[in-house]
Amino acid sequence: MRVKHVSKEIHHHKILTDIDFDIKTGSIVGIVGRNGAGKTTLLRTMVGILDPSFGDVLIENESIFRNPQLKQQIIFVPDSSEALKSYSTKEMIHLYKQIYPSLDEDYYLQLMERFALPEIKKIGNYSKGMKALFFLVVAFSTKAKYILLDEPTDGLDVIVKKQVLKILVEEVATNDVSVIISSHRLDELEFIANDIIMIKDGMVNSRYGLDEMKANYIKAQVAFESDLPVALKDQVTILKQTGRVYIILIDKNHDEIIKKIKLASPLLFEDLPLSLEDLFVARLGGDDDVS
Amino acid sequence: MMFHKALWYQNYKQTRMIIWMTLALFVVFLPFQSTLALETWKELQEQAQLVDDSIYEVQQWDVLQIFSEGGLAILVTLSIIVLAGMLVGLERNTRRNDFTFSLPFYRNDLFLAKWFYGAILISLFHSVNFWIAYFIIYQSEFASALYLVSWTEIFWGPLLGFLFFFTFSLFIGTIAGELISQIALTIVFAIFPLGLFTLIQGLIDVHFKYYLNQPVWLEYVTPFMYVFSNTSTIATIITAIAFTVFFLLLGTFLYKKNKIEHNGEFLIFKRLNLPFLILFSLCFSLLGGMIISSLAPWNADALRIVSYWIGFTLFLLFSLLIARRLLAMNLMISNKA
Repeated sequence: MRVKHVSKEIHHHKILTDIDFDIKTGSIVGIVGRNGAGKTTLLRTMVGILDPSFGDVLIENESIFRNPQLKQQIIFVPDSSEALKSYSTKEMIHLYKQIYPSLDEDYYLQLMERFALPEIKKIGNYSKGMKALFFLVVAFSTKAKYILLDEPTDGLDVIVKKQVLKILVEEVATNDVSVIISSHRLDELEFIANDIIMIKDGMVNSRYGLDEMKANYIKAQVAFESDLPVALKDQVTILKQTGRVYIILIDKNHDEIIKKIKLASPLLFEDLPLSLEDLFVARLGGDDDVS
Repeated sequence: MMFHKALWYQNYKQTRMIIWMTLALFVVFLPFQSTLALETWKELQEQAQLVDDSIYEVQQWDVLQIFSEGGLAILVTLSIIVLAGMLVGLERNTRRNDFTFSLPFYRNDLFLAKWFYGAILISLFHSVNFWIAYFIIYQSEFASALYLVSWTEIFWGPLLGFLFFFTFSLFIGTIAGELISQIALTIVFAIFPLGLFTLIQGLIDVHFKYYLNQPVWLEYVTPFMYVFSNTSTIATIITAIAFTVFFLLLGTFLYKKNKIEHNGEFLIFKRLNLPFLILFSLCFSLLGGMIISSLAPWNADALRIVSYWIGFTLFLLFSLLIARRLLAMNLMISNKA
């Protein structure tokens, strides 16, 4: 799947600007960005709900807008089940069978049983967690190659969240599908995504394989007799400050910065495990308004 | 592809209730009304015999009243407008449009599936109920009354009128941003040509005491007349078909071009905002002038003119305020669940 130089304007505001990337099967790609960065708009454009102002979305080198039948390979699971809440589970699977001929009904029943989801007369009567699981079960049963999930774990309790993440990882490992997740739950993406696309102000700010990304930064806890030396302040990202103790993020050229820190005779200087959230703050700015 | 099972199923699921209501209205409109009409005719026949020993004769108008006009035809028309609203407008108010547009179908096919779905059901409901009503009268002592009317008047005229009106409502759905504006604009534009003429006539009347003759073609271009008037002729049949084809093609084209990011707003195409604002303010102001001037005495010419312009200005201000609100509204239901 290729998102080819996609731009989107809504009400004369540029929501997406020249977004360009491709997605290979068998991977989990996280689309990360602050609220309003354009994540949902990007997903809605990738599945043909919105027309891009410029650019295209290609599957097998063909535009999904010119040939929408290609969208049999994509399924979009929005963050709201408003559209289909009046359907029963049976009606829903009947509908999807018509749309996605490759839907595997046996597999659907297996997954329903595994997650203890009862057949129900109105999907709207499922609990929030059950709805989220059910839509994932349906999405994976369609055997679509690309599964687009908009905030799939938003508002779910810890146990359901774990179930959701588990099914995502298992499906990608066993069925060679690609899962594209937009989320601000960075702590979750960290464990499952192998590719992160960071969106800032409607543009791809950066794209990293997760391991590569972690290798580019060091997170450390430092403390000095007085404040952090002024010379260092501009060269590190301060994640947190408690009294004289700073948690900082040190960029690529860390060797030189580390030397400077050591020269300033810190009272404390130790490495901390780096999380995706730290990188998110470093790449996209302060964490005050990140939700 | 427009006959794709999934689309039929989806359309039925989201219009189930209004479909059954439309069917019930057709049953009341045709078979039930014809049964009641027979009873009325019998009653009138008996009375005629009793009172002045004359014979009651059913008139052409009595038969037309059953098949092609009256309050019930308007109720059926309203249910057809709501059906079109459920197929297009309601999708825009909810997240259903996202689901529909994410499906692996051409947008043309999505729109045509909606049209075929509604058109086939309307034709089916109308035809079946027509034949039942026809049979009820045919087997009665008033069977000869059926010779007073033509097929064009009692069958083709109303059926094509309903189909045209449904197509017109769906077309309005492609430019309106949500359900209520689709229904409101359908009703407004359905009477627009005749309505505007009446307003202009009001203006001329107050100022010059001159009555314009209503041009014949005006009724042909007023969609409402196709479901209300009983004067179906070959000419109205041809124009109904031509307008149905025209609005179907235009609707299909515009549905394909739809910017659904404007769902929930009054109009989908922003370039229509200015023409809408001008037209809405003009009509509303003319209406205001007409209403206020009608309060003045008929013979006080100067007072009528003054009150006309007071009404015009007042309603112009109202319309600008209302239009500003309308064009800035957003009725998108985005509840997360």
